[in-house]
Amino acid sequence: MTSSGAFRERLLEAWMEIRENLGRASLQALGVLLGVASVLGGFSISDSQRQRAEQLYVRLGGLDKLNVQPRATVRDGQATALQQANLGLRDEDATDGDALRPDAIQGVSSQKNARSRVVSGFADQDRPVTGIGGDFIPANGYAVEAGRGFSASELEAGAPVAILGTEAAATFFPSGSPLGQVLRIGEVPVTVIGTFQERVFRFREDQRNIFRWRNRIIAVPANLVQRRMNGDAYRRVDRITFRIPDLKVMAAFSKQLQDVVTANHRLQDDFRLDDVQARIRRQNSQGDVYDLIFLLSGVLALVGGGIVNVNIQMASLKERVREVGVKMALGASGREIFKGFMTEALLLTALGALAGLVLGVGFSWTITRSLGVPLAMTPASFIWAYVMASLSGFLFALYPAWKASRLSPMEALRYE
Amino acid sequence: MSTIIRTQGLTKVYGANGTAVHALRGIDFAVEKGEFVALIGPSGSGKSTLMAILGCLDAPTAGTYELDGHAVHGLSGGELARIRNGKIGFVFQSYNLLPKASILRNVELPMLYAGLGRRERRERALALLEKVGIADKADKLPAALSGGQKQRVAVARALANEPALLLADEPTGALDSRTGAEVLDLFRELHAQGHTLLLVTHDPSIAAQAERRVEIRDGKVVMGGVAEDPTSSAQPGAHPAAHHIGVGR
Ligand SMILES: Nc1ncnc2c1ncn2[C@@H]1O[C@H](COP(=O)(O)OP(=O)(O)O)[C@@H](O)[C@H]1O
Ligand SMILES: [Mg+2]
Repeated sequence: MTSSGAFRERLLEAWMEIRENLGRASLQALGVLLGVASVLGGFSISDSQRQRAEQLYVRLGGLDKLNVQPRATVRDGQATALQQANLGLRDEDATDGDALRPDAIQGVSSQKNARSRVVSGFADQDRPVTGIGGDFIPANGYAVEAGRGFSASELEAGAPVAILGTEAAATFFPSGSPLGQVLRIGEVPVTVIGTFQERVFRFREDQRNIFRWRNRIIAVPANLVQRRMNGDAYRRVDRITFRIPDLKVMAAFSKQLQDVVTANHRLQDDFRLDDVQARIRRQNSQGDVYDLIFLLSGVLALVGGGIVNVNIQMASLKERVREVGVKMALGASGREIFKGFMTEALLLTALGALAGLVLGVGFSWTITRSLGVPLAMTPASFIWAYVMASLSGFLFALYPAWKASRLSPMEALRYE
Repeated sequence: MSTIIRTQGLTKVYGANGTAVHALRGIDFAVEKGEFVALIGPSGSGKSTLMAILGCLDAPTAGTYELDGHAVHGLSGGELARIRNGKIGFVFQSYNLLPKASILRNVELPMLYAGLGRRERRERALALLEKVGIADKADKLPAALSGGQKQRVAVARALANEPALLLADEPTGALDSRTGAEVLDLFRELHAQGHTLLLVTHDPSIAAQAERRVEIRDGKVVMGGVAEDPTSSAQPGAHPAAHHIGVGR
């Protein structure tokens, strides 16, 4: 007979044994089931949280953006001539950076901010004004809802035009459409040509809108701020942002950019790049602690279940000593008995683990739903849960199977 | 004529030192092929112990045992299992059928361990059940059968791999006298077909039906340890030359 035939026979035998002792078998499978469910559930809940956190991160303008910002080099006393002559962060830095890796960079934008008195027919407030350049609107997750965006010539010329966030639009023009209306920013009359879509992001459904402040934006061309509001001779900007989705590419790029900008700035360390390495570390370690806790609780459940199984198996072995004796008398070797017990235990483990996966999905779904987080499950979690259960099932089956295989046929037959 | 069983100085001691039980104290014993031997003796005399050793279920403390011409003492557990599977058929007083397996599967089991294919097993098991007269119960569980029927299944199972030796330890002990007699008829039939039978009993009327009676007391053979031989009164094991002359009955 082929070995696969022998295996099938053992499987059949194991199945009969399980079916005949459904109560005991379910009890044994329960340990595995709970272990698998808790491993899978733990991983999935942690994956879901992580995915949510990553989404938040990306949407907050985090992971895919490399920012360059000015840094004050002179804290005390007078600036040196070199420091004074230094140009600060400029559009040229953006252009030079872009030229480094045009293939990997999905967008470059610059920002020149001002704080100013903003007046309409309805409101008169002191507000931040965002001067934007490049791909600022898409790169920062904004989208024009009504009206239009800035044209290239408007950006270039610093035309007196503005796009408002929903909150700004509602504040300065509470009735009627803001489009075509005039807003006075400082001394400059500016025409509203568009409004942005409302920005909404909640970590959980019942939480408040984390992006609410983004709806307060009053966007104008950066060159308008530069020329007529808050400019200087060097055309300094407040922030340059490169959009690079691939973190590894970003890490390499940031090193090159550092050199380029340092050269542009006459070796003055008056700017600051985002720390990409820290970002990578943070991303990699997101939820690690939770994974560990869940893994540990799963392992504990499996170990607990395994110990219970050993006990049940040893107790049931007492009932089955005679059966083992009979099989041995008929010619079953110790090895055959061992394989029989192992097959039974592994079949039980497999069935329990399958049920555990189902329960685990249900469990994760319930928990993530109650947290208001979308469920995220990865194939790796399923594989982990299954492999761990099989491993523990295997390990804890060894002792009873070994005990059974070592029975003396004579004594086993005499056993009452 | 070949010798199926030959033992010399077979000793079995249970336990150690202070509490040691000397179940067998030097058994010299032989069974020829095709013989029907009854093993008799009072309770506790060591009959079951001897059967267990002859059936390779247990190892002797000392002495030698040749089964079908091969030395058995000192073999490994796996080798003993193979011998039990291929050369020995057991019938027990308490039937020892597997309660969760069907009658058919019970009979198939020794063939399964021998590595026979599914179809062959099934055919052979059905033929054997036919032979012992309960083919119609093949799909039943043992619990559905009467004692006599169970013992027939046990006999069919013992015959599964065409063993060289059938060992029955008080096979009628749990049966009433009528069904006991029926089972005994089955054994006599098997004997007539050429099977070698060794049957333990303490019932003289059953023992009377065997060709030869061997009696043991306190772990020693007191009567009939070897086949009666008209040409020699010597024991074959003790005197090889004499045994040689005796061959060919
Ligand atoms: N496993 C054992 N441990 C200790 N003593 C045993 C064991 N098996 C049998 N004996 C003892 O060995 C002797 C022979 O027993 P047994 O072979 O069962 O006799 P019988 O079958 O003739 O009644 C008895 O005294 C019995 O108590
Ligand atoms: Mg006995």
